[in-house]
Amino acid sequence: MPKIIIDNHEIEVPEGTKVIEAAEQLGIMIPRFCYHPALGSVGACRVCAVKFLEGPFKGVQMSCMIDVKDGMIVSTTDEEAVEFRQYVIEWLMLNHPHDCPVCDEGGHCLLQDMTISGGHGMRRYLGLKRTYRDQYLGPLVQHEMNRCIHCYRCSRFYQEFAGYFDLGVMQSANRTYFGRFKDGILESPFTGNLSDICPTGVYTDRPSRFFGRRWDYQRSPSLCINCSLGCHTTASARYREVVRQEARYSEAVNGYFICDRGRHGFHYARNETRPRRALIEGREVSTEEAIRAAREKLAELVKSAGPDSIACLGSGRSGLETQAMLKQLCQEKGWQGPSYFMDKSLAGKVKTAVSRLDPELAVSLHQLEGSDAIIVVGADPINEAPMLALAMRQAQRHGGKIAVVDPRPIFLPFDFTHLPVRPDEINLYLSALIKGAVDPQLIAEAGKGAAEFYQVSPSLEIVADSLQEKASILAQELRAGQKVVIVCGTQIVRETTPALAADHAQLLRAAKKQVGLFYLLPQANSFGASLLTGDEVSFSEILEGIEDGRVKSLILAENDPFYNFHDRQRLDLAIEKLDLLVVLDYFESAAVKKAQVFLPTSTLYEGGGIFINQEGRLQAAPKAYLGGISIAQIGGGNHPPRVYGRDIPGGEVRAAHQFLTQISNGDQIEDDDHTQRSLLRWIADNITPLPEIPPFDELAENGMRISSSDNTPPYFAVKWQEEKDKGNGLEDSLEIILTDWTFGTEELSSFSPPLRKLERSPCASMHTKDAARLGLDHGDKVKIKLDEGDVEVDVCAEENMASGAIVLPRHRLLEWQKIKSFPKFVSYEDVKKVST
Amino acid sequence: MKCNVDLTYAMIPKELKELLARQIAGIEHPRELVVDVMFAVQDHYGYLSDEAVEEVAELLDMSPLEVEQLATFYTFIYREPVGKYVIHVCDSVICWMEGHESLLDHLSGKLGINLGETTSDGMFSLLPVCCIGYCDRAPAILINKKVYGPLTIEKLNDILERLRAEA
Ligand code: SF4
Ligand code: SF4
Ligand code: FES
Ligand code: FES
Repeated sequence: MPKIIIDNHEIEVPEGTKVIEAAEQLGIMIPRFCYHPALGSVGACRVCAVKFLEGPFKGVQMSCMIDVKDGMIVSTTDEEAVEFRQYVIEWLMLNHPHDCPVCDEGGHCLLQDMTISGGHGMRRYLGLKRTYRDQYLGPLVQHEMNRCIHCYRCSRFYQEFAGYFDLGVMQSANRTYFGRFKDGILESPFTGNLSDICPTGVYTDRPSRFFGRRWDYQRSPSLCINCSLGCHTTASARYREVVRQEARYSEAVNGYFICDRGRHGFHYARNETRPRRALIEGREVSTEEAIRAAREKLAELVKSAGPDSIACLGSGRSGLETQAMLKQLCQEKGWQGPSYFMDKSLAGKVKTAVSRLDPELAVSLHQLEGSDAIIVVGADPINEAPMLALAMRQAQRHGGKIAVVDPRPIFLPFDFTHLPVRPDEINLYLSALIKGAVDPQLIAEAGKGAAEFYQVSPSLEIVADSLQEKASILAQELRAGQKVVIVCGTQIVRETTPALAADHAQLLRAAKKQVGLFYLLPQANSFGASLLTGDEVSFSEILEGIEDGRVKSLILAENDPFYNFHDRQRLDLAIEKLDLLVVLDYFESAAVKKAQVFLPTSTLYEGGGIFINQEGRLQAAPKAYLGGISIAQIGGGNHPPRVYGRDIPGGEVRAAHQFLTQISNGDQIEDDDHTQRSLLRWIADNITPLPEIPPFDELAENGMRISSSDNTPPYFAVKWQEEKDKGNGLEDSLEIILTDWTFGTEELSSFSPPLRKLERSPCASMHTKDAARLGLDHGDKVKIKLDEGDVEVDVCAEENMASGAIVLPRHRLLEWQKIKSFPKFVSYEDVKKVST
Repeated sequence: MKCNVDLTYAMIPKELKELLARQIAGIEHPRELVVDVMFAVQDHYGYLSDEAVEEVAELLDMSPLEVEQLATFYTFIYREPVGKYVIHVCDSVICWMEGHESLLDHLSGKLGINLGETTSDGMFSLLPVCCIGYCDRAPAILINKKVYGPLTIEKLNDILERLRAEA
């Protein structure tokens, strides 16, 4: 490894390291505009000039363009280099407006910093400045082209890194323009990163524009809980509300970027409609009164009907503390539950995924970027976990081959091979592809288990004729790949798929490949929920209990079954029948409106929380601010009311786990820290494999990996014949597949006003062949007969999806909750065109 | 999410479109043809309109922005209507030493337009170009892709008059 001396400090770095990077490792931050660690070097801005004193290069050179070589001696402080950089800044400022006070970037602007630190203080240029027309780029990003210094970071990120082609660089020389062909909403779901990486104020965060300067904000590390990846964010709060979220660097998880769902998904915490006061039968009461009412009613029920007349439902969007408190209470009090999943099969799939995630197989998003073949089964990255798509794109850019086995019309921002097969065929295709990709010789050597599993698994012969060619090319590519990752979803797949994905990962390992296994889970903390799930009742069993009168009270801790449960009719009847519905939540869910007692809980931003992402990475977010209703809301835009009080207005919200202790044990609450500590103790003592969780600030930057792999013998006996028979008799039916969309289906982000502007209106996707058979055209309106009535929705006829399926988004604007159980099939007669 | 360009008014005539589509189908990396396709469409209409950019994009399975990036980079793709004669005046170093500026001043004065403009009768457009490789004939200009040089004011006047007469 070459050694270099920079400003009298010596450092040894791997071959290929740029001088600017070596300096950074020494703690010397050479100025930069165009260089970005994720985007690489282009040498466009010239501000990273340093002087090379010894070695293969001499004189002033760009430190971002030159690889470290032995014998180099570099000075960043040499007079000539300093002067050079000063001129660079001066010429970049020729055309740049001198109006930082009205620019929203001011305060965190790299150009501002460099202008000051570079020593360009006096303006000499007196000519006219070049000006541009700005464009409308949609609700998330504001454009101010006059501020551009032509570093090309935006177009490189947008096109090369992220794979979207509606923003880029036009014209040339002094007229170079960064923007779109025409005004319009940016197509990529990663656009917020433009605001993060542009070194000046060309792109700024539109929803939070002019709300404050960076130094006005309380900025704190936070986590995104809008999907199961758990990307790192920085939350900016001011005047008692979070107003902006940015990407926070994480080596293992999201790198430098996040998706727009994550960036703008936090508005549920600040909306004016968020319920801030406790309610009894819809009437605002003091928190203490509501707690007392809940406690007394629960006690009465225990007396009259026994503790098991009370049941609890939690969720995967709560922090581990609340999930665990629910479990602790149920155990101690003899209440039923908790259940954290809406249906048993989903709970089962998540449990399998969690228990089969062998620590040697689990890979992070970052590791996945380095793989040379990825096979995705039953997952739709861009819609379920957008940053996964971005990571996969990096693998693809480095030559990785990507295959997706999924019935839905999958779009990814890069080239990949799609095998659109029905959910019941996913297992077969996965198996066939992997079988075609491993060397039988190596498997034979690997031992009996692997050999037998290999022997009986279906081979490429099962692949439909139309997909034969694609599949055999794919199998070859997988075979050539050394680092292979299997990505497996848990939503649309059959119950056996997650385990089968693990088995095939093991098979690949037996064939001497470096293998990764990457599951997607339904919610941010589904992993935690799964660790806490033993043999408790499922939600449908709770409903049964209510139906036959055994269960009389339901406690909903941060779960809204009216959004999530697939059988609304049954739910309505059950809720009607209850003696007591207690709801704890932090947004205006439908369940809140039905609650006899409602307690307003704190969000991640006011309460902090521990979340375990889909690869078992336990991460924590501290509080971003102390809570309370925002000044803007209590003052109605004016000065807040001049009323004396010791509490924060609207500060009645508490962490759900605190309310839970209070409604079960008593009024007195200890301070936050204390409850949290004792909870963490309880978790460590009772929940294997969770260790003692250190205080948040001690949790390492990248969290800690939890593994609950249960050492089940890796290969299970798949009844392949049954798998093959599953498709029989389905020729005349269409499977209803419920799916996520990037915007519009995920519960928390569906409360975000800026993201609502990006939602597509719901549509039912079906294969063009099926549409033709039904006499439907793209854009027609159809009525689909489900178990409990019809849904009316527009048709999207697609070529790139499985036939025999109708894909419906779990969209907030679509009443899809009319399904009794899954898998749900409808016949062709059940789908009728609505004449308009 | 390739946007499906839905053009309410398709510009390229059917035959030309088919010809281009055939050429595109015949090569391995269609986008290599983008400049040729832009020229073909421009030759037909005299310039490359917004709609034409979108049609070229559709033909080549590129986004309109990708086409625009190239269309606006190249000097000889005109994104606005131009006159019957497009005069490109070389402004690179040799021509500049040989009197490019007085040539340009004269042209501007005579035609009554600045660089980037077209005479009101639609006859002449005046545009700069960087070195066209005729430094030995500096100062040089291009008129509708034909080179003229070395030029003097008199020669230039003759050329303009001839072109006007021919038009
Ligand atoms: S818009 Fe920003 S990121 Fe893009 S080139 Fe200009 S300064 Fe750089
Ligand atoms: S990919 Fe998921 S976790 Fe990451 S920012 Fe987007 S929604 Fe949040
Ligand atoms: S950072 Fe090196 S040239 Fe821009
Ligand atoms: S400088 Fe004008 S042709 Fe070369």
